[in-house]
Order: sequence, then structure tokens, then C-alpha cells
Amino acid sequence: MGITLRLAWRNLWRQPRRTWLTAGAMIFSNVILVFMVSLQFGMYGMMIDNTLAVFTGHLQVQAPGYIDDKKMRQSIPDAVALGESLRQGLGIDTVAVRASAFALASSEERSFGVQVVGIQPDYEPRVSSLPGLVTAGRYPDSNDALEAIVGTVLARNLKVDVGDELTLIGSGRDGSFAASIVIISGIFDSGMADIDRSFIQIPLGTFQDVFFMESAAHEIVIKTADLSLVDGVVAQTESLVPAGSDLVVHDWDALNPGLKQAIQADLAGAWFMYGILVILVAFSVLNTVLMSVLERTREFGIVMSLGLTPGRLGRLVMLETSLMGIIGFVFGILIGAGLIVYVGINGFSYPGMDEMADRFNMPERIYPTVQMLPLLLGPTIVFVGTVLASLYPAARLNWLEPVQAMRAA
Amino acid sequence: MRTAAVVARLAWRNLWRNHRRTIIMLAAIAIGVWAMMFMTALMRGMVNDMVRDAVKSLPGHVQVHNAGYRDDPSVVNSLEMPSGELLAALNGPEVTAWAPRVRVPAVISSERESRGVTLIGVDPAMERDISFVTDATTTGRFLEGSADSGLIIGAKLADTLDTELGKRVVLMSQDPDNEIADRGFRVVGIFDAKVQNLEEAFVFIGLTTAQKMLRIDRQIHEIAIAGSGFRDVAPLENSIAAAAGPELSVLPWFELDAYLGTMLGVMDGFVLVWIVVVFLALSFGLVNTLVMAVFERVREIGLMLALGMKPYVILSQIIVESILLLLIGLLIGNLLAWATVIPLQDGIDVSMVAEGMEMFGASAVLYPELLLDDVIMANVIVVVLGIVASLSPAWRASRYQPIEAITKA
Amino acid sequence: MSAVRCVGVSRIFKQGDLEVTGLDNVSVEIEPAEFVCLVAPSGGGKTTLLNAIGGLDKPDAGEIWVAGKRIDNLSKSDLAEMRLNNIGFVFQAYNLIPVLTARENVEFVMQVQGVRADERRRRSDAILAEVGLKGLEDRRPAKMSGGQQQRVAVARAIVSQPAMVLADEPTANLDSHTAEQLMELFVSLNEKHGTTFVIATHDQRVMAYAKRIVRMLDGQIVEDVRQQAA
Repeated sequence: MGITLRLAWRNLWRQPRRTWLTAGAMIFSNVILVFMVSLQFGMYGMMIDNTLAVFTGHLQVQAPGYIDDKKMRQSIPDAVALGESLRQGLGIDTVAVRASAFALASSEERSFGVQVVGIQPDYEPRVSSLPGLVTAGRYPDSNDALEAIVGTVLARNLKVDVGDELTLIGSGRDGSFAASIVIISGIFDSGMADIDRSFIQIPLGTFQDVFFMESAAHEIVIKTADLSLVDGVVAQTESLVPAGSDLVVHDWDALNPGLKQAIQADLAGAWFMYGILVILVAFSVLNTVLMSVLERTREFGIVMSLGLTPGRLGRLVMLETSLMGIIGFVFGILIGAGLIVYVGINGFSYPGMDEMADRFNMPERIYPTVQMLPLLLGPTIVFVGTVLASLYPAARLNWLEPVQAMRAA
Repeated sequence: MRTAAVVARLAWRNLWRNHRRTIIMLAAIAIGVWAMMFMTALMRGMVNDMVRDAVKSLPGHVQVHNAGYRDDPSVVNSLEMPSGELLAALNGPEVTAWAPRVRVPAVISSERESRGVTLIGVDPAMERDISFVTDATTTGRFLEGSADSGLIIGAKLADTLDTELGKRVVLMSQDPDNEIADRGFRVVGIFDAKVQNLEEAFVFIGLTTAQKMLRIDRQIHEIAIAGSGFRDVAPLENSIAAAAGPELSVLPWFELDAYLGTMLGVMDGFVLVWIVVVFLALSFGLVNTLVMAVFERVREIGLMLALGMKPYVILSQIIVESILLLLIGLLIGNLLAWATVIPLQDGIDVSMVAEGMEMFGASAVLYPELLLDDVIMANVIVVVLGIVASLSPAWRASRYQPIEAITKA
Repeated sequence: MSAVRCVGVSRIFKQGDLEVTGLDNVSVEIEPAEFVCLVAPSGGGKTTLLNAIGGLDKPDAGEIWVAGKRIDNLSKSDLAEMRLNNIGFVFQAYNLIPVLTARENVEFVMQVQGVRADERRRRSDAILAEVGLKGLEDRRPAKMSGGQQQRVAVARAIVSQPAMVLADEPTANLDSHTAEQLMELFVSLNEKHGTTFVIATHDQRVMAYAKRIVRMLDGQIVEDVRQQAA
């Protein structure tokens, strides 16, 4: 192997400019791939985590049909008790019970239709990031206080502030008239207009009272430590739900189908573009290898007269290409990783990103980090494409006749 | 001129000396160009569609409101029906259509459920030319006049409320004195929107009916105005703003929907970046091809120089070779792009990721749009950058010293 | 058993519509350790015969036997193996791989044969010394004279102890003095190792060294003479 390896390496450098230009194409593509894929992976992860953190959680227990219809009467009986038993059974305390209804909220000057959400003040902060986004006043602190928190946009539209009263009018679970007066204990600012304008949160006990829920609620929200654990926890939860009840467990993808799909759509577009880059690099390699083989026709002829088989020559050519591919691989990764580190320090953003960030629950600057999979994925595919590109020139050698070859110019 | 003809003929013949290499390079350029345009067409189509849909649902390229309405979209922040200068401007040449609207938050209740919505009072005849809803009303009929007592509701909302054509619903809102203003309506039409949010958010009734119900006489809240196109809105905006006076706010669509506005700008930037990246990936191969071509002909170039040809002729020959290569590749790439976009113009079905697309604000069908501007930009960039890329090998070729070149092995 | 035996060998080349006769019903026998020159003017068929004997080109008719084995019906890969182990070639020019040193050129074939590294080293050192290139082992061909390059080619041809060395106009690019030196080397190797040498040439100086001259004209053998070498 020793001489063959030396031969392959030295053959690359017979035409240094050509080798560097071809490697350059690989390096260029690899840097782009490493950077973009790392950025994407980082962003997707953040997008999912942030979106789910606000409200959806990683999985929820609900009554059948609630996920589509959201009707008051599709409720979970004895919800608080079930919530507690789930906490015990799963061994985590990131479990919170919620109830939801529609009501007219009136301040002194204005009225708006809003979604009223009943939450458990002790547990809600563990599954949702919203309690942490209270900028004025405080989150309700007891389960049956007549308090509410309101989003900034809603507060502005209702012309209310911390300490003001809100009248809530709606229908209870049984259809009867439900009403209450609550005091605004705090105002939250999530930065997303849609959220800040459409709902208020009150303690679950108060909610169950006002809306005649008795002990029922609508959702048990569960948050897991990591996205990868969700499937396991879903299975566990299903087994912990009382036998004979028809409660369903939905994972975040079922609760928020747009999220995964948006990522898939984006990924599909990205794969297309990355695929084109790989193809273009492969063409570049094909051309280079073809040229380097053709110009050595006579030499190959002589080597064949020594008794080397075309197969061996073909392997030599592929070895040369692989060495070149390794250069592209290594440098591409090094430079790409360097770029990520550099950008990771200063943050990455482009004009127009803040509005897009808003919509997808992303921060305004992204700080990418170096991770193994995105780092290696693109360059590996480029390397494979490179070696594949050398198959044709290598295979062509099988048709080489020593005598004709030696006559070549 | 004779020289030019000779140069061109030589360049053409030289291109085909090594036809395998030329063909591979051409294939690479064609694929690169195709990818440039195809991706661009897809993205353009998607974003243009998004904007057009948004403009139809906002609706309009420009909207006029009471100065305080945007912060406080309440019934009191109203304006007069347009008259005088404003009316003249609205009937002016830049305006293709305009519609006055009442637009307030309200609560809609069916027998079973209630929801918060935005109530829109419209003049059907004028609304037809500017918004989506007349055409989108697939079940029942649209309103027949400003005084129509019927109500148009979105399909998803009808579902959620458990109501249907012919049934009765109650709309409840506030009048300017903060008194409840409510009225019963019969559902006369149901509309389907591409983006499901719209179906849940809006209900439509007659303009005069709305004014009567809200006790606001001849006041409206919004004037929606359509011009010739969504790109160049400034002249329209300016002429309306001038006529409207300082007390009214006149805003273009991209300020009313900041996300989309920036999307458009981001897409423009993205297209340019994509084209340049693809070209750079190609450029390595292009330069390589030219370098190899020059290298193989060193003796010949030396001969030509010795025979008295001026260096700039050699330079231009290489550049012309490069241009020919690029032009042929561009031709094939353009044709490929055109050939692949045309059959897809009926739309690419991406309903698998429909909810995901909705997160982006796009519909579940992609319509690629190959814009002349984009085509021109791609072609020009490829040719110009291609010439730049070929300068180096061409320059070096022209610098050869005849004797050295001829005696090179 | 003869080193080479050709019986009724013919080879016809097609150039477009033209048919060119390379070899026409050639029969010849060469014994081991012979030192033979194939002599013909250009196009006379000497290279074609050499290529046929060396298994580089298949004849259209006839039989060829090398070291008692028939080779005209072997597959390409079998022919390659035969060349690898049994035949050494020396061509007029471009014999060597330019990016390898003299030693590496010599060792290359041995590596393909599977010889171990230390053994390769020992044999390449020995053979390079024998051809008079001691001290130049690590030079690349570009840094050697024409004569030195040919010596490396010979070293490579000999090092795997082939039955036969086939040389096609090996002195064509050399000046007289160097050509003589090369031929002396051939002779000494032939005497020392007993390797059969078949040399195609139309160079008078080369023919002077031959113990047997086979003359060809238009693809046929016209004369086959044994003589006293100089």
C-alpha cells in the first residue's frame, strides 16, 4: 500500500492549481453546508422549544375530541387529582392542569372577547414560560384568588392597568350564565402580539367556580426534560391514565402540527439547495479526474505493460480522488467550524430577521454552536459525491488497451 | 473586425477540441443555472402569493384609519365617510378600487358557543373589487347590499360554533358610549379562506346595518385602497396621504403587516445570495476548465505569439471561449428552467405541510413564478462574474513568452 | 522448452477502411538465455511481434507459447499477470512514472507482486547498484539523463527476475556512447542472470551486440541469422 499511497498523493500535485481549485470547490461547498446546517439545526431546536414553552408543552392529556372542537363540555373529570397522580407516576413536577373558556372581558371603557384560561399557580410556571414574562405586577399566587393576568396589548386595548377590575361574562360548562369580577394582578409581555392580545389567565380554582366546572378541567399539560424523551413519556402517561376512561394523550406534534411541518417545509427547500451544491462539486471533480486520467494515458499504458490490471489503475484513480476529497473535507470542516465560532460570539442576524423572529418565537440574534452532526453531515455527503464522481473515469480505464494507450500523445 | 471573427471562430473550435470536458462543464452550468431559476421561481411564487393573499385579506395596498385606531381598535376611533379632497383622490387614476368598512371587535354567539371575532361592515359592490371574501363565499350567497341583514361567516368558525346556513347567531359589541350593542343575524353565506385563521377571525355584515347596530351614523373605521401592484405603493400612498390630511393615518400594506413586508425584502436578498452561491460553486470548475485548456495549448499560444499575434488577442480568445461556454450553458439552463416551471404552473401540492405553510403565512399550494427580472438578473450575473473568473487564466495566457512557450515539454 | 515459440502468427490492423498487415504468418522460436535482435525498418513489424510475444497484443491467427505456456488465448487479466511475473519491458522513452524516484519505480512492480518491504528494499538497492546507479536511488526521472532513465527502466525490468526482457528501440533517444553503455549492460545481465533478451531495433550499433538477428520486412521474417557478437 505504501508506494501506491505515495503515488496517489504525488499524482495530485502534478497540477497543484487544478487540485487546489477542485478542492476549493469542495471547501467552499463544505463551509456553506457546515454553516447553514448548523444554523438550521440550532434554529429549529430553538423554534420548537420556544413555541412549546409558551403554551403547548410537550404533551397533553385531554378528553377525546377536545383537540379539534375545544368545546367546554369535552372535559377531564377529577382533573386536579389526575394531575397529582400523574406527577407521582411520572416522577416529575412539570405537570399542570388547565381549563379554558371564552368570555367577554369588560373594563370601564372597553369590552373584548377573550379566552379565559384557568391555571394552577403552583405548577403553571413549571410548564410554561408565560409566568416568567410578567413585566408589571405579579402572577396570581393562590388557587382561588379573584385575580387575573392580562397581555400588554389587551391591557392597552381595554385601557386597564395592574389593580384595575375586569368583568368576565360567559357560559359555564352546562351552558348556564357565568360571570365574575377579577382584579388584574399582573401584565405579561411575550413580545408576540397574537398572544398578548387574546387571552387572560385566572387561577384554576376560581375558574372551576365561575364556569361551573366542578372538579373538571380541559388540559393536563406535561413538559419533559428534553424533546427526545417525549415518546417515552407519552407511553408512560397513557398507562397511568385511569383504565376505562377515554382520555387521550397528544404529543406536541398533534397539538401544534404546523410546527413540525414548517420545519419540514423549510428543510425540504434547504435539501434541494444543498443537493445542487453537492452535484456541482461532483461535476467539478468529474471533470478534473477525467482530465488527469486522460493526460496520463501513455503512462497508464506503460504501467499496464508492466502487468498492472486496469482494475488496479482504477483503484489508484479513486484513491487519488479520495485524498483530494479528504483535503476538501478537513479544510471545509475547519473553516466552517471557525466561522460558526466567530459568528457564535457576535451573533447572527440578517435584515428582516426580527419580524420573522417574532412569528416563530425566535430571539433576534442567533448564537450558533458547533455540534457534531451538522458539522459532519454536509461534508460527508460531499465526500461521498466526490468518490462517486470518480467512478466513471476509473471505470473507463477498463477499456484501456496498453498498446493504443502507449501510442497516445 | 476581421480579428474578432477569427477570434470567435478559433474560440468556438477550441471549445470542441476536448468535447468531453466541454460537455461536462456545459452540463454543470446548465444544472446550476436551472437550479438558480427553479428555486427562485418557487420562492418568488410563494412570497408573491403570500403578499397577494394578504393584500386581499387586509385588504388593499393602502389603508386609511383614524390616527388612534391602530393602537386602540375600538368603535370610537372612527372617521367620516370620505368626501371632498379625499373622495377625489379615491376616485383618481392611481386607485383601482376602494372600499369603506366598519371594523370593530365583537363577540358572536350561536346556540352553543361564543367566540371573539372582528366584525366587518362592508359595501358589497365596492368590497368585491378589493377583498377575497366575495369570491371565497362558497356556500350560500354574499351580501346583496349595504343594508343586507344577513351575515357571512368563515367555515372554521361555523364549525366551532356548531352553526350553519340559515341559522341564527347573535353579534354583540360596544357603541361609542360603551353600551352593549347587539343584534341577531341569519347566516346567509359561508366562506373558505386559504389561510384558516381568516375563517375564524372575521364575520361580515352590511355597512349600513353595522352602522345602525353600533349607533355610529355615517362613521366608518377603515378605508381599504387598491392600486396597480404591491411593489410600488409609494405614489399611491403619498397621494392619498396628501388628500387625507394630518389627522388620519395612511399606511401601506407592508407597515400594516410588518412580517410580510420584510419577507418580501428578505426574499429579494435571498434570491441574489442563492444565485451568487451557485455561481461561485460553478466558478471553480469554470476556472479549472480554462486553466487546463490554456495549459494544453501552451505551445500553440507560443506559436501564435511568435507569428505576431498581439497578447490582447490571446486574452480575448480565452475570454470569448469562456463566454461561449457560459452562453450555451445559460441557454440550456434557461430552457430547462422554463420547461420545468411551465408544467408546474398549476401549482405544486404541498398540503402535507399545510399547517406548516400557514405558520409561514403561505398556502398549501405553491405556484412557481419565473419573473423576467429574475431571469435577467441570473443571466447577467453569470455572464459578468464568469468573465471576471476567466480574467486570470486569460491574462496569464497572454503573458506567455513565445520561446518559453514553444519549448515547453 | 523454448523461451518463445510463435507458430503462424498473423496480426492485421484496421485503420478506417484500410487494412494494414502487421504480421503475416510469422513463425519463430527463441531459446532461453538467447540475445536476439528483431530488425526491420519502421513499420516492418518488429514492434508488433514484440507486443505479441509480450502479451500486449493478441494475434488474429496463430499460436504463441511463452515458457511452455500458450498465451494467445489467455484473458486480459491472465495476460497482465503473465507480464507482471514473467516479462520485463523497456521502451524507447517514457518508461518511468515521473512522480516516483528511481528506487520507487523499481519497487513499484514488486509491491504489486506482493513482495515485502524489506525484501523490496534489498533487491532494489542491489539491482540499482548493478546497473551502475548507486547513489541515484532517490532521484526523480526528470533529474536524470536519458541514459540514466533507461538504466532505471532496465533495473525495473530485471528486478522481478523475469524469464524474458523485451526492449523496443531502447537506444533510439540516446547518444552513441550512452547507447553502447546500455547495450553492455544488457549483455552483462544476459550472461549473468541467463535472462532471454529480445530487442527490436533498426540501430546498427545495437545489432552489433546481438548473437542472433531476425530480419523482418512488411510483417514477414526474411532472414534469421546467428552471428558472433562483437
